[in-house]
Amino acid sequence: MSNLRTVTHSGAGETCDGKREPRLPVLVRIKVELLKRLEDGTGWLVSRPRSLYGLAVTRILLGIAGLGLLLTNFNARHYLFGAAAAWNGQNADPASAFPRIWLFSIFRAVADIPAMLTFLYVVAAVAAVLFTLGWRTHVVGPAHLVLWVSLIELNDAVSDQGDNAYRIFVLLILFTRCSEKWSFDAVRSRKRGDETSGGRWFTNTVHNIALAAMVFQVFAIYVAGGFYKLGGESWQHGYAAYLPLQTAQFGTWPELSELVTAWGPAVVIASWGSIVIQVFFPFLVLQRSTRRLGMLAVLAFHGSIGVLMGIPWFSLAMIAVDAIFVRDRTYRSIAVRMRDAMTRRKTPRAPVLTRSTTKELV
Amino acid sequence: MNDVQPQRRSGGLTGTKRFVVVIMALFLGWHVFATALWVAPSSALREVVPGDALRGYMMPMFGQSWSVFAPEPISADYYFDVRASMTVGGQESVTEWVRASDVELSRATHHLFPPRSAMSALAQALETRNAWLKLSREQKAVFEANYYEGDDWSARMDRALDEAPGQETALTRYKEEDRASTAYATQVALAVWGDGVQRVQYRVARHPVVTFEERNDVAPERPAPSFVNPGWRGLVVEPGQSQELFGSYFCAAPAQVCEV
Repeated sequence: MSNLRTVTHSGAGETCDGKREPRLPVLVRIKVELLKRLEDGTGWLVSRPRSLYGLAVTRILLGIAGLGLLLTNFNARHYLFGAAAAWNGQNADPASAFPRIWLFSIFRAVADIPAMLTFLYVVAAVAAVLFTLGWRTHVVGPAHLVLWVSLIELNDAVSDQGDNAYRIFVLLILFTRCSEKWSFDAVRSRKRGDETSGGRWFTNTVHNIALAAMVFQVFAIYVAGGFYKLGGESWQHGYAAYLPLQTAQFGTWPELSELVTAWGPAVVIASWGSIVIQVFFPFLVLQRSTRRLGMLAVLAFHGSIGVLMGIPWFSLAMIAVDAIFVRDRTYRSIAVRMRDAMTRRKTPRAPVLTRSTTKELV
Repeated sequence: MNDVQPQRRSGGLTGTKRFVVVIMALFLGWHVFATALWVAPSSALREVVPGDALRGYMMPMFGQSWSVFAPEPISADYYFDVRASMTVGGQESVTEWVRASDVELSRATHHLFPPRSAMSALAQALETRNAWLKLSREQKAVFEANYYEGDDWSARMDRALDEAPGQETALTRYKEEDRASTAYATQVALAVWGDGVQRVQYRVARHPVVTFEERNDVAPERPAPSFVNPGWRGLVVEPGQSQELFGSYFCAAPAQVCEV
């Protein structure tokens, strides 16, 4: 019965009493709704840059991960990329596309000269440090990307998907204003009294679009990773986590590997848990009520992989991008609490800073 | 319709600016779609992107694949072994096998931050073995034979390979791996045994780990390794190869094997 009434109502269109909104034809209402959504979307993109603190944390942790990989392999530089590695033929005929691309070929050009390789390697490390600190990021950021990719891609045989993730995330973050907080750039612009945010519709939009691309990229990595695992028998039966830990390559702590895989149910929880956290990650972090659970689970996931499987820098890079899912408000309150704690330690009787000082913590 | 579009939502953008924003948003839509198609298993949905545009957009900058440890994770160790034939004081002798992959891996075991040099030999072993599996029986037979006499051993091996029936692409691939493996074995042999090295032989193996069911047994029986056993080769030193830099790094590994 009520159906009939609705149909008559919407069909009539113009019939309405004074208090109700005028009923418009369905197509017009859809059009209005779409335009409203479009306006909302545009407003989201244009009005202000999102996740400035989250992206600052991402920049810092990505920088540390990139630097960490460089430092870890510094002693091995000639053995992996230089004159000691001529046997693999990669300098002569690179397996990766990058050593043939303009700019990204810079390491290939000098790798066989030991002194030049060392020099450029140090330059790459310095660029990683400056990127971490957010010093003139619009110049240093691209330099860091080019130098890092140029080096890492020179030895395709020992590179992994972590290198791809790192390259993509560093590229995308360069389009954001990732050095607007917690950086040397921020300090400098505050001294100059620069106006931040607001009114810059174009850079806001570019920033937010790059952020959205990063969010999607994180989701793509987790969800795809989870789904591919579902097809494997060892994942289905819950013993997949055991297998790599028994190899020398991914079981860098054999005694620990033995310990954590001794009890069967724990292995199943780790295997199935990996799939669950990967597949459901987007849903967990996009809901405020489950975000904390999702973040803790994914931190435990990367933390244990990073230590047990000997891939710390890839794990840190993923933690770095997961940092964008924590709200700016949370970061600011953490910063305030940390400053409170530090002030109290220095001068025990000084008045405790309150949350009202949050705004000073740029 | 203007009365239902509140101006404040879009920050009061003019038509041109709004157009630019919409274009950028559409580009994001394309990027997301392309990434999703690229990351997912290949499907007929890729046909909606004309020509080679998907690959053209994704590669090389957004190149990625997330079937890591999937569908099955790595479940075996890979070995790269080297031995050499020596002439010392006019006496010929053959050395014991040295597991070069273990020497490198000793830099990773019990290290929180393993260098990538821990898995050069391991990666070479894996590539070599995978390439081997594609060869025909006749091609394998040629590679299993010894080629080291004179300066033309490489050319003679190539001629024998040309006559062996089998896949051309598989052959090209294994030839590359055989050359790289021999060049690596040469460096290892020179580092470990010094200048008396006359010729080298490498072998690679895959060694499955103890099965999950047996892991807590008192004496778990690990499956036997499967070896690929190519023949002896003359020394291969690539242009620009620094034996000194190779040797000093290789011999500095925690697992000490160098005799000179």
